[in-house]
Amino acid sequence: MNTGMILGLTLGSLAAMVPIVLTSVGAAISERAGVVNIGYEGILMLSAFFGTITAELAHNGWVGLLGGALTGIAIGIVHGVITVYLKGDHVIPGIGINLIGYGGVAFGILAYWGTAGQHQVAPNAQIKPLWMDAFGNSLSPMVVITIAVAFIAWWVLFKTPFGLRIRAVGENPEAADALGVNVELYRFTAVLIASALSGIAGAYLSVDWLGTVTKTIAAGRGFIALANMVFSGWDPILSLVGGLIFGFFDNLAIYIQNNPWLAGTIPWQFIATLPYLVTLLVVAGIIGRARAPKWDGIPYKRE
Amino acid sequence: MEERTPVLEMRDIVKVYSDGTRALNGVTIKVYKGEIFGLLGENGAGKTTLMKILFGMLKPTAGKIFFQGSEVHFKSPADAIARGIGMVHQHFTLVEVFTALENIILGKEGHGLFSKIDVKNAKKKLQTLMDELNFQVPLDVPVENLPVGIQQRIEILKMLYRNVDVLILDEPTAVLTPIEVKELFDVLRKLKAQGKTIIFISHKLNEVMEITDRVTVIRKGKVIGTVNTSDATPQLLARMMVGRDVVLRIQKKPHKPGKTVFRVEDLWVKGDRGEDAVRGLSFEVKAGEIFGIAGVEGNGQSELIEAIAGLRDVEKGRVYLMGKDITGKKPRELYDMGIAHIPEDRTHMGLILEMSVMENAILGMYWRREFSNGWRLIDWGKVEGHAKELIDEFEIVAPGTRRPVKSLSGGNQQKLIVAREVSKRPEFIIAAQPTRGVDVASTEYIRNYLVKLRDEDKAVLLVSADLDEVLQLSDRMAIMYEGQFMGVVKPDEVTEEQIGLMMGGVSQ
Repeated sequence: MNTGMILGLTLGSLAAMVPIVLTSVGAAISERAGVVNIGYEGILMLSAFFGTITAELAHNGWVGLLGGALTGIAIGIVHGVITVYLKGDHVIPGIGINLIGYGGVAFGILAYWGTAGQHQVAPNAQIKPLWMDAFGNSLSPMVVITIAVAFIAWWVLFKTPFGLRIRAVGENPEAADALGVNVELYRFTAVLIASALSGIAGAYLSVDWLGTVTKTIAAGRGFIALANMVFSGWDPILSLVGGLIFGFFDNLAIYIQNNPWLAGTIPWQFIATLPYLVTLLVVAGIIGRARAPKWDGIPYKRE
Repeated sequence: MEERTPVLEMRDIVKVYSDGTRALNGVTIKVYKGEIFGLLGENGAGKTTLMKILFGMLKPTAGKIFFQGSEVHFKSPADAIARGIGMVHQHFTLVEVFTALENIILGKEGHGLFSKIDVKNAKKKLQTLMDELNFQVPLDVPVENLPVGIQQRIEILKMLYRNVDVLILDEPTAVLTPIEVKELFDVLRKLKAQGKTIIFISHKLNEVMEITDRVTVIRKGKVIGTVNTSDATPQLLARMMVGRDVVLRIQKKPHKPGKTVFRVEDLWVKGDRGEDAVRGLSFEVKAGEIFGIAGVEGNGQSELIEAIAGLRDVEKGRVYLMGKDITGKKPRELYDMGIAHIPEDRTHMGLILEMSVMENAILGMYWRREFSNGWRLIDWGKVEGHAKELIDEFEIVAPGTRRPVKSLSGGNQQKLIVAREVSKRPEFIIAAQPTRGVDVASTEYIRNYLVKLRDEDKAVLLVSADLDEVLQLSDRMAIMYEGQFMGVVKPDEVTEEQIGLMMGGVSQ
C-alpha cells in the first residue's frame, strides 16, 4: 500500500458514503416521526434520472441536485398523503415507488436520450470537485455538505422544539395531539424532508459521483441506507459511521476489480457483493439493541 | 344551593355513538371555583365520556358547555387546555422514552421552532411549581423508568405548566398504592388551596367521601343527584350509584378448613432486573380457606404469583399441589392439574381484547375434549354454548358471544375471567387483584363468589393491594414486604395499626 492508494480509497469511501448517509438521515427523521418508507431505492433511481435532465437543461450540476430534491418531494407528497392523511399502509406505496423507479428509469433513458440502459452526463452538467489530483482522485463539495447535514439533523432532532415534536409524533402521537401538536403536519413534513434528502442523494449519483445514469444506478443503496438507519439507532451522526463502512467496501471492491492479479484470483461477482455483505453483517451484529420509535409505521387516527 | 355562578357548567349533554349506543342522556353538572368536585358512577355509567366531551376529545350529540361565563366549543384537547381546562387520563399519555422535562414542555417549548430549547429556564419554572406543591419529580430520567405514581405527577405538572384552572382527574387512584393515594390527595388539597378547581372522577366511595366537597352521581348516562359530601354517607352514595342497597361488607359464615391443597417451601424468585423479588417464602393454603396476601405493590407479589402459575422461573425452593411437586411445570400442565389463575392485569394477561367473548371463554382450555368434535377440531357450537352458560351464570352483560371482548365494560370483563377460570373446575384458585378497576356491583359479585368457592372446599390464594378486600375475605392473611412475610395473622385478631407497621416492613 502506498499513500496514493490510501488517499484514493479514503476519498472514494467518502464519495460512496454520501448517498447512503443522506438517505439514512432522511429516513431516520421520517421514522422518528413514525412514517416508514421503503421506497428510497425508487426515489434514488428517479431523481438520478430527472436530476440529470434538469442539470443538462441548465448546464449546471447544482440545478441537477435541486431537480433531484424536487423529484424526491413529488414522490414524498404521494407517499405522505397516502400514509399520513389517508392512514394507508406504509410499506405498499414504497414497493410501488421502487417498481416505478426501476421500470421508469430504464424506459426513460431510452425514450429521452435514445440510448439503451445508460447515458453519460454532459461535463458542463456535472458538479465540479473541491479538489482534484492528477490521478483522478477528487473530493466533492457534497461530502462536506453531507457531513454537515448529519450534524445539523442531529441538532434539530434532539435540541430544538421541532425535533422534540417530530420524535413525539413517532413515539406517542396521542400525547402529542393532546398537547396541541399537529401530528399529521409534523409527520408529513418529516416525510418531505426525507424524500428531499434522498432525492438529492439520487441526483448526486448521476451529476456528481458517477457522471452517468444507468438503469440500475441506485444498485440497492436505498435499502442499504435503511439498514444503516436501523444500525445507527435512528441517529443521524451514527449513520455517518455505517455510511463510511459501506463506502469503504464499495471502493475496495472497485479497487480489487481494477487490480488484474486480485481480480484473477477472486471471482468479481463475489467482490461486487462484498460491500452489501459486510454492511449487512455489521447491521445484523448490532441490530436489536436499538429500539424503533413506538408508533413507527402505524397510522394515527383520533378516536 | 349557593348563590354563586358556576365556573363550569355542562347543560343537557347527550352523546349517542355512531353504533347507536346512548352513553349520555341529558347530563347537567355545575362546578364551582376552588372546589373538589366528585363525579361518581360505576364503570360504564358515562363519567369518562362526559369528561372527554368537556376536554374536546368527543363531540356531544346535543347540549351546551359554559366555561367562565361564556359558551365554549372545544374541537381538541389542545383547545381545552388553551382555555384553562386540563385532564389527567386513567391511562397516561406520556412519551415513554422522553424525560419528564421533555414530556412536560412538549408543544410549549418556548419561542423559535428551530432554536435551541431553553432547558434551564423550563427547569426553573417546573422547580417553582414542584416547590409550591411540595413534591419532587426527577426531570432528566426517561419516564418509562419511573413508577406510576411519579408518572401521574408528571401528568399533573404537564397541565399546571399550561396554567390550567380546572383539572380533571379520571380514576386517578386506580393505579396507585395506598401511600401514593395519600400523597396524591395532599397534592390535590394544595391545588385547591391555590384556587384551582378539581374534578375527581371515581367509583370508589371512600375516596370520594374523603377528598371531595360535592358529588354528582351518574348512572347509565343520567344524573341521579348531587349532594354535599359532608351530608353524604357511603351507604347513600352506593345506593345512588348502583340503584339498590349494596352490602359493603361481605357476609362470611365460619368454615372449617380441610387438608392442605397447596404448599410452598422456601421459595426464591428473581425479578425482571435480576434482584431477589421473593426471598424464601413458605406457606400453605388449605381446602375451604382463603389465604390472603396484602402489602404495598411491588414487594414481590407479582413475581410470587407468576412463579406459582408457571410464568416465571423458580430459583430455589419447591411448590406442591395436593402433595405433588409442581415446581417448574408449564402453565398448561398446571391448568390440567387443577390450578386456575385470575391474573392481575386483565387486559394484558387475562383476555385477548380483539377476540370474541366466546373465544376468550375457552382460553387455557381450548384443547380439552369437551370443546372439540369427532375430528378433534374446535366445535364452535359447543364453545358458544359454554360461553352462554358463563354469561347466564355470572350475569355478565355482553352484547353477544361473537362480539370482541373489548366491547364489555371492565367489570364484565373481569367477571368473564372469573367465570372462565372457575369453569376449569380447579381445586386451587389464584386470584390476583380480582376487583381492581371493577365497578361496585361486580366487585360485590366477585368477592361473594370467592367466598362461595371457599365454602365449596376449594383453596383460594388472594393477592390484593386493596387492604379492605384482604381483610374482609381472608381466613388467614400474610403481609408481604420486600419478598418476605412480615407476619401471618387472622384478620379479626389484628388491628389496622399492626398491619400498617407490617406493610412498612416491621416484622411481628
